[in-house]
Amino acid sequence: MNVVSKKILFNEPLTLGSGEMLPGFELMTETYGELNQEKSNAVLVCHAFSGNHHAAGIKEENAKPGWWDELIGDGKTIDTEKYFIVSLNNIGGCHGSTGPTSISPKTEQAFGAGFPEVSVSDWVETQKLLADHLEIDCWEMVVGGSLGGMQALQWAISYPDKIKKAAIIAASSKISTQNIALNEVAREIIKKDECFHNGDYLSHGETPSKGLKAARMLGHITYLSESNMSKRFGRKLQDPQTKMDADINYEVENYLQYKGEQFAKTFDANSYILMTKAMDSFDPAKNFDHDLVKCLKSIQAKLLIASFDSDWLFPKEYGLDIQMSAIKAGIDSTYIELNGEYGHDSFLFYSNDYSVALKNFLNSNG
Amino acid sequence: MDKILQTIVIDWIPDKAKVVDFGCGDGALLRILAEEKSILGYGVENDPVKINGCIKNGVPVIQQDIDECIQHYRDMDFDVAIMASSIQCLRKPRNAMQNILKVANECVITLPNFGNWELRAGLLRGKMPSSVQLPAKWYETKNLHLCTIVDFEELCKEESFNIKKKVYLNNKGASSWLTNTFPNLFAAEAVYLIG
Repeated sequence: MNVVSKKILFNEPLTLGSGEMLPGFELMTETYGELNQEKSNAVLVCHAFSGNHHAAGIKEENAKPGWWDELIGDGKTIDTEKYFIVSLNNIGGCHGSTGPTSISPKTEQAFGAGFPEVSVSDWVETQKLLADHLEIDCWEMVVGGSLGGMQALQWAISYPDKIKKAAIIAASSKISTQNIALNEVAREIIKKDECFHNGDYLSHGETPSKGLKAARMLGHITYLSESNMSKRFGRKLQDPQTKMDADINYEVENYLQYKGEQFAKTFDANSYILMTKAMDSFDPAKNFDHDLVKCLKSIQAKLLIASFDSDWLFPKEYGLDIQMSAIKAGIDSTYIELNGEYGHDSFLFYSNDYSVALKNFLNSNG
Repeated sequence: MDKILQTIVIDWIPDKAKVVDFGCGDGALLRILAEEKSILGYGVENDPVKINGCIKNGVPVIQQDIDECIQHYRDMDFDVAIMASSIQCLRKPRNAMQNILKVANECVITLPNFGNWELRAGLLRGKMPSSVQLPAKWYETKNLHLCTIVDFEELCKEESFNIKKKVYLNNKGASSWLTNTFPNLFAAEAVYLIG
């Protein structure tokens, strides 16, 4: 598999949906496979909330493989011998693309809390500029899970003739009140960290890692299913030798502590807030009198909407809701419900039914 | 689906219709209808293997249980609803029948006739009957509510369903004097256009 990592600079100013402007921006990208001569085999992979451009392959020895390595690669579900896969870190992120930790040309300091609000539509606009840069006129497929699935849906709405297929996995056309509430608790936890300094922690030389860690611990619970947690940890007691904290009794506590801590080392608190805000505000129907049917009418791409039975964060009703509106709108759309043992996170992992469905969809024509 | 049966169904469905096929299998019928009649078709299916057949065939499909979902397909402007050899697999066929005419203006229903003489003969021999239409063993069958032509037409009468067209086919998929004169005895399959 041919892997190319590249940071691409876009010099033109970018006006965001909020009306604010970025004087220019950089996108951290990774591509897998080769673009064919007709430039007709390109697949755009959109990352979820805390994901990044590193979707597949192993960068260096002992490093973790990309977040969708189980599905992207030579001979895999999204076959790099056949398709050219483009993955990127979205703006507002913290893995190489322009985001809150980048230096603002205006102030010559990190944007920090001053980074403008971004939306799913803004991401799609930057991805369109990336497509133009790569001279890809039309994606064979745009695919993503969770917040990534929202980008796939937005692509189909924003650029009807620039995308042939959209795979919208474990996603929704707008998140629920409960989802917004959970995001708000996470944001509150971060903001209440004494090192947060109203988001300007970088200029204070500090990071609100305690808040970020606790927010992630909460988030992590929502990404897993109850049965998966029970099966994996049950009520097993943590080995005293490997306790992260003296107060810990159970394995599940240690696991969350560990995951939270690892996350806090690599993620930026302002990015966390900004990404959850983008998720909260996603609602493409709001520009169509809050009528999803109207909103989907212009779609020319074929849709594959997939939900996982154990996902309680984005339950199957969300996927079905898009599907039923798609039928009313009279567009080509398929809905499947997959078995997934990992709850919301199931979209990240290979399973036979999942892989076969996605592969058949990608390879289908007409 | 048998070729002759398929021809009848295709013939009854108008060009460019918006069609839903409950129990669509691998989507073969919807694909042919899309090719020959330029329909906009959606399949409803609950078997993951068959669903993957639909995706491979490029046929839009919704993974759902017909008994549970059928009422949600109202108000979707379907011209025709198809239920080909699926009604006997439902838990609540009467409910499905009541709903299907609210889903579409017209519906095409095909069903295996449990009154067919071969099946009656099987039962006379003291065995659970089997035939080309009903090949599964009693412990493997998905059929929950088998009926005869007489039974089905009685239900249509009770529910005031208007049978616009009907065709009776023997086990070779052909219509004959015998199947038309004594359908409940000689037809292996019945096809209805109800509106």
